[in-house]
Amino acid sequence: MRLGPNTYSAGAFYDELIDRDGAARPHAARLADYFSAMQPDELVARQRAVDKTIVDMGISFTIYSEGDNIDRAWPLDIIPRAMPGEEWNRIEAGLVQRVRALNLFIDDLYNDRRILKDKVVPAEIIDSSRNYLAPCRGVSPRHGVWANICGSDLVRGGDGTVYVLEDNLRVPSGVSYMLENRNVIKRVFPSLFQDHRVRPVSEYPTSLSAMLQSIAPPHAAGDKPEIVVLTPGIYNSAYFEHSYLARTMGAELVEGGDLVVGDDDCAYVRSIEGLTRVDTIYRRIDDVFMDPEAFRPDSMLGVPGLMRAWRAGNVSLANAPGSGVADDKVVYSYVPDIIRYYLREDAIIPNLPTWRCSDPKHLDHVLAKLPELVVKPANESGGYGMLVGPHASHREHELFRALLKQDPRNYIAQPTLDLSTTPTLCGEALEPRHVDLRPFILQGESVAVTAGGLTRVAMRKGSLVVNSSQGGGSKDTWIIEAQR
Amino acid sequence: MLSRAAERVYWTGRYLERAENTARLVQQYSQLLLDLPDEVGVGWPELVRIVGAMDAFRASGKAETETGILEFLLADTDGSTSLAYSLRMARENIRNTRDLLPHEAWENVNELYQEARRSLGPAASNEDRFEVLAECIGECQKISGILSGTVSHHSPYHFLSLGKAIERADMTSRIIEVAAAYIQYNERLVRRYGSSLWTNVLKSVSGFQMYRQFCQPQVQGFRVIDFLVRDRAFPRSIAFCVDSARASAAALPRGDRTIAALDRADSLLQPIAAEGLSAAQITELMDTVQLRLGEAHHAVATTWFLHEGAA
Repeated sequence: MRLGPNTYSAGAFYDELIDRDGAARPHAARLADYFSAMQPDELVARQRAVDKTIVDMGISFTIYSEGDNIDRAWPLDIIPRAMPGEEWNRIEAGLVQRVRALNLFIDDLYNDRRILKDKVVPAEIIDSSRNYLAPCRGVSPRHGVWANICGSDLVRGGDGTVYVLEDNLRVPSGVSYMLENRNVIKRVFPSLFQDHRVRPVSEYPTSLSAMLQSIAPPHAAGDKPEIVVLTPGIYNSAYFEHSYLARTMGAELVEGGDLVVGDDDCAYVRSIEGLTRVDTIYRRIDDVFMDPEAFRPDSMLGVPGLMRAWRAGNVSLANAPGSGVADDKVVYSYVPDIIRYYLREDAIIPNLPTWRCSDPKHLDHVLAKLPELVVKPANESGGYGMLVGPHASHREHELFRALLKQDPRNYIAQPTLDLSTTPTLCGEALEPRHVDLRPFILQGESVAVTAGGLTRVAMRKGSLVVNSSQGGGSKDTWIIEAQR
Repeated sequence: MLSRAAERVYWTGRYLERAENTARLVQQYSQLLLDLPDEVGVGWPELVRIVGAMDAFRASGKAETETGILEFLLADTDGSTSLAYSLRMARENIRNTRDLLPHEAWENVNELYQEARRSLGPAASNEDRFEVLAECIGECQKISGILSGTVSHHSPYHFLSLGKAIERADMTSRIIEVAAAYIQYNERLVRRYGSSLWTNVLKSVSGFQMYRQFCQPQVQGFRVIDFLVRDRAFPRSIAFCVDSARASAAALPRGDRTIAALDRADSLLQPIAAEGLSAAQITELMDTVQLRLGEAHHAVATTWFLHEGAA
């Protein structure tokens, strides 16, 4: 098809904007029209306006380089990524289903362990997971919910099917960029929004605050619970987001040293009024750094005694410690079974086919087909420590063969995906680039899902790596209602 | 307001003020030494004593020469006395409280710090010293101006003002100690040149015009000291700063202990009669003022900053 004076061709992959014949997909027809009417120099000018708005608004992320940390302007492409409302309704239902099942699963693992006794999930997978935290046994957080904030990564394959790639149940990040992307695109393309019915995303901070209130310990009921956001500090790569969410919720942003747990097993914040009680902590610190008394004694980021206070039910933590046991990538491969076990439903959104290297037959297959597969460590995030078979060298294949044989429990393999693409401004031309999508699901007393989420885009031609720390960009994500 | 944020904002006020006044002190002292004949034997080490850093200086291993001492006071990045260190800490504290303070404050302090890192080292030995220090004073005033002009008068502002007032009172007392050194070593010159030396002292705190307009037209030594200690209208006098710190403490919750400590500092500021005090007595009085200000700081820290032990 023609997008402006440039011909845009999607290549061999499923394109989010145009179909195989080069025609705009119906939900995105007006969006395609809008950008078709633009000259390349206008596209470039709009991209500059977006970049400038991002700098002016101070939207940044932090990367580490040689021991120094540098604030970088957040990369946002001007062309929104569009999905039809009806499709999203189904995905949303699938995400709600998935998070409900995962939370029932985590609660079961730390209490009755029914699913293990029934041998739906092998006990040794759980007991060997370093994200299964013994100090969490016997605890049941408010509403039985452990992972209150979940960021599941979705991808679309070559046949148009949307899969869950992974569930992030520890401290998923990116939601502030979803919100800011929308704010920026609204500023730069106000007229575009008049022509479309795009589902709003702006209520997220309100939903987050409501969820955090709904999980406050019972003693805080009636009063307005005191909520704080716990950050590792300004050197953390997601500090922008921590500060953004605290500000938009009207909550205090605290560091470990600001909190103290008393002999009464209650959590307090050190303020100029003295010590004041805290009810819910939205913690953006990893489990093992959270409490030097319970986990790593060398952690400078945590709060001694926090686990005591949590176990006593005097303070709520979101996400609850130990939630990460369910985003182990080996556990991921059982999620369809987990959904069936607890909800007696089939998974609405499918998993990617996954080979578990702990299973000798699977391992043989993986070793034989290594150059075609993606191999992932079970417990890393941020795209680190993985092998993309078709893009890797012979030496890397050999290295991973050795790793897999040495520590099969900690690896899984999946087919290399024909990740979908969407038009992205590269220089002066629109070119297809691979994208994924991270929606955010909140569960407290009830469940809420963002309309869309954060679309990440691999800016390098042919690349599948969307992480911003490794050169990825982002897009505003539009869930478009059908025109009446 | 979080204790940690309060502490950082308070120290932002202190370090910005300390940076500005360190520049003023060095300028003034350089001027003093130019006026004194070599044979009176007063040298740069006296300035190190005045800023209370003799032990740190000895530990630094720097030479007791003009260049060595100025490197220590201006550019030294290992110790905690230098102007460069104060700027680094001001920057670090503003960086950590960016959510509370205006963005322009961060931008300016960052620029000032980067520039100072380049220029302060050479300024220890070269002829641009006055210019570099004057620039530094101006930039510090700019940042203070941004803060006082744009921060709402809530707790962060009061901590900023409190830090600034306590630091300024302390630094003015040290500038008075330099003035006392004038008298001690320079009675002959004071008799001969009289007012021009005291004019320099006043100018070092930008107080010459205010003194002339509101105190008296003639510049007299003891009147100058009295002005810098007790004038309740001049913003750099000790009395003014104590009043200002008291007002900030009163605007904060649980300020009683700090106010009481400041009252005790205030009670030292008695009229200084003409020719009534020797240079040694002035020095002693200023040392006592500094101790009382230290007690006021201790009250601030234990009331509001709630460190591990205090919890």
